[in-house]
Amino acid sequence: MFRTTLLASGMALALLAAGPAVAQDKPPVKIAAIVPQSGAGAFDGQLALEGMQAEAALVNAAGGILGGRKIELVVYDDKGTPEEGVSAARRAMEQDKVDMIVGGWFSAVALSMKEVTRDKIISVMTSSQHPDVTAKGHKFLFRLNATSNMMSSKYGQEICARIKPKSVAFITINDDFGRLEVDNYTKLLGACNVEIKGNEFYNRNDTDFTVALTKLKSLNPDAIYVSAINTSQGATIYRQARQAGFRGTLIASAGNMNPKLIELAGPALEGVYSISLYAPDSDNAKLKAWTEQYGKTFKNQPAFIGTLGAQAVQVLAAAADKAGTANDPDKIAAALRSQTWPTLLGEIKFEENGQALQNLYLIRVEGGKIVSIK
Amino acid sequence: MIRKALPFAAALVLALLPLGTQSTYLHHVMVLWMLYALLALSLNVIIGYLGELSFGHAAFFGLGAYASAILTMQTGVPVWLALIAAGLVAGLFGFVIGYVSLRIVGPQFAILTLGFGSIIYTVTNYWDDLTRGPMGINNIPPVTVPGVGPLGEARDYYFVVVACVLAFAYACHALMRSRTGRAFLAVRENAPLAASLGIDVFRTKLLGFVAATVVAGIAGGLYAHYLRVITPELMSLQYMAALIIMVVVGGRGTVVGPILGALIYVVLLEVLRAFGPLRLIVFAALLTGSVIFVPHGLVSLWRPWRRRADPAIRPEPAP
Amino acid sequence: MDWTLLGQQLANGVVNGMNYVLISTGLTLVFGVLRVINFAHGEFYMLGAFLTYFAMSALGIGYLPAVLLATVAVGALGILVNRLFFWPLRKEHEFTVLLSSLGLALLVTHGAELGFGHDPKYLNSPFTDDILEVGTIVLTQQRVLIFAAAVLVLAATYAAIRWTTFGRMMRATAQNPEGAALTGVDIRFVHTITFVLACGLAGLAGALVGPVAMIFPTVGSWAVLKGFIVVILGGLGSVPGALVGGLTLGVVEALAGGYVSLGFMEAIGYAIIILVLLWRPQGLFGSVAR
Repeated sequence: MFRTTLLASGMALALLAAGPAVAQDKPPVKIAAIVPQSGAGAFDGQLALEGMQAEAALVNAAGGILGGRKIELVVYDDKGTPEEGVSAARRAMEQDKVDMIVGGWFSAVALSMKEVTRDKIISVMTSSQHPDVTAKGHKFLFRLNATSNMMSSKYGQEICARIKPKSVAFITINDDFGRLEVDNYTKLLGACNVEIKGNEFYNRNDTDFTVALTKLKSLNPDAIYVSAINTSQGATIYRQARQAGFRGTLIASAGNMNPKLIELAGPALEGVYSISLYAPDSDNAKLKAWTEQYGKTFKNQPAFIGTLGAQAVQVLAAAADKAGTANDPDKIAAALRSQTWPTLLGEIKFEENGQALQNLYLIRVEGGKIVSIK
Repeated sequence: MIRKALPFAAALVLALLPLGTQSTYLHHVMVLWMLYALLALSLNVIIGYLGELSFGHAAFFGLGAYASAILTMQTGVPVWLALIAAGLVAGLFGFVIGYVSLRIVGPQFAILTLGFGSIIYTVTNYWDDLTRGPMGINNIPPVTVPGVGPLGEARDYYFVVVACVLAFAYACHALMRSRTGRAFLAVRENAPLAASLGIDVFRTKLLGFVAATVVAGIAGGLYAHYLRVITPELMSLQYMAALIIMVVVGGRGTVVGPILGALIYVVLLEVLRAFGPLRLIVFAALLTGSVIFVPHGLVSLWRPWRRRADPAIRPEPAP
Repeated sequence: MDWTLLGQQLANGVVNGMNYVLISTGLTLVFGVLRVINFAHGEFYMLGAFLTYFAMSALGIGYLPAVLLATVAVGALGILVNRLFFWPLRKEHEFTVLLSSLGLALLVTHGAELGFGHDPKYLNSPFTDDILEVGTIVLTQQRVLIFAAAVLVLAATYAAIRWTTFGRMMRATAQNPEGAALTGVDIRFVHTITFVLACGLAGLAGALVGPVAMIFPTVGSWAVLKGFIVVILGGLGSVPGALVGGLTLGVVEALAGGYVSLGFMEAIGYAIIILVLLWRPQGLFGSVAR
């Protein structure tokens, strides 16, 4: 063991001596990127990580932060499960001594990870929508995505005003997100006299939905509301709804529309509405710079989840600069709360409990593209 | 002489292991190792001693975890009592399921346990009021040692879990030298012959199965109060596959094998982080290689002298 | 009682059941000859789907030729798999072989994640979105194709085992490997061909069922579980058992999902299997002793 260490440090020294650019004497700012890299969420994790990497590259190309320190992303796999998320956060804090943590793509992971990081380290939770993440958060915890309550109160109005179904049935994932969605929309749509015909829960590892969709179709609803976080499950549901012979309106759950979903679901998704923080057709300069950088490095189409990763890096970099430190969580948290931040998704402001207030756009799939409806 | 002293020396090293490092993360990895070792040892009773394959073992682990978490959080029972209850709940389910299934052997038994495990998983997933569904239970209280207070550090947990592992390992060792242990082996090698010798095959199997599920339940409870978060995924097939890997790669039917298997599993996955995206591929390749080239488990590399020492290890005839 | 709905759910169940039959026939063949459950079986299902996808996108050929190509390619892979992962362990304990197949499954899955990418893909068959309405029952052409192909393939497999020389060799090996070897049966050849057949069938299943949902590298774990259940339900090693077992599971699941809850569909399927096994431990069509 000792010899290997010696050998490794010798090699590292040799490398340092050989490299011409030894000007890198300032230590990097380490940000932990805790994303799902295997299991059902692996693709979403990949998109998220790519978004963070593109933004880190932009920040580093512009000279880094805190007077020339570069951002280094330390990547961990949480497998989309709370247990692994907790282990990854511990490793990041205790072994790798990172400065800040970005994670919590799934609510279940965010809810347990926040207990490990409680009052210890700046933790930015990203796409999770569960209200408790910030309602029972801690003084260093911030969450970017809107909560599902915030999303549904906006979406509820839009559904009543624009889509105007007479009746609706739900197909939702069996977890807190799905359950909350059913509760919220039953109330919100009921208030504008939409008849609720029924709901079917599915599991997160289901691959075929024909049986459930046949059942929902037989209830004859005007519209079917599809609540799906996972891209491949979502695409399958939209396609199979049409294949089961359902010809009514499909409504996509808020926050889950992305280019891959459109590519996979094909014509089944044409004309479908959703709500998103990300309007690809926005003319925000920061968004354009990020999209260009992303396109240079990665094959995928930029997606909402990637913009959230980028936004996390963006606000952390800016707040660290303002606080003048990368590892004093008190100062960084105070900086984050102190002002409105311009980001690639527009202006963002954090409430006292760490919840972000951001723009929500009504979006729609038109001609295979996501466009925002003004 | 050395042969007699070696197990004690090994146990002592194991017990004092966390004192060798200051890293709290390494302590965390050690606790995980011991928790998996406890589970693997319990599964080893079924796989190694009874010679049956159970795909439902992770469900008992989960039952213990949920029982203990729910009891402490909803009724305020002290944790040590809840841990015992966790073992009892898992053991009760083990008794009922074992009673129903153990007359059936081979792949059919494996699928029966898979079926029961899967039903327990589904109920856990949907009984939202009790189990909080797929989101799992958070903020489970830590283990409290009377007179010491709640355990905060991973290192303190290590001492609790390693005590359980050593106690159970010793129990397994003692069992395999007893009359009952010899009955286990007789049943594994040739059930009809065992029956003709007056061994009650069904009762012997049920005894082993229930003991294994009780320990799995206690391990689940310890896991819940250590990690302080549990989800139904504990009962999923990934965990099940991992456990089978630990037992068979380490060496089924031995005491050291499952502990070694758990160590390999936990440490290898940590070490392989250096491989980045290739990590899981390298892991699978090493696993497959070890099965093909060391089919009796890593423990068999020591076997020349172990065989004389431990009657429980005997090469099995090919099926 | 809504008879249209019942009819539709029964039709869904029968077609899904035929998927299961396709997947489990290969699994049951391997068990019949080798006496092991091959946990990597689902990965050949996954490979069948992905090879069809890449044959279409890289070679630019149509769906049906791509299905054929993928089936043959995955079948050929069976030679390699048997040689490397199963033949060397033929004298080892069944747990060892089982773990070897589990290792192979992990190797193929993680290899596919790296090679094919994590992103889900849509296998574009021209028959997926076209609806066929028979009376009040709605089915896509793809599902009808799956059904027809399964019936054909199953009949051919059954006939081959029953009436050809190779089939006799296979049955002899299944009953008594040593005895078969003594009478001049080339055991190694029988094992190889069994694997080719099993992998080819799994690949075909993947290529045909792939377009019904999305495909991704971990899709095989689902397939092997269903296959495992069907094979045990029908009786290990029995081809008619796989047919009846697969259809039973498909219909039970559709009715449970349609009339109870989709979430409990699988659990109810398991409950039925438990009941069947407690009544007939050897499965519906299994023989009591070897």
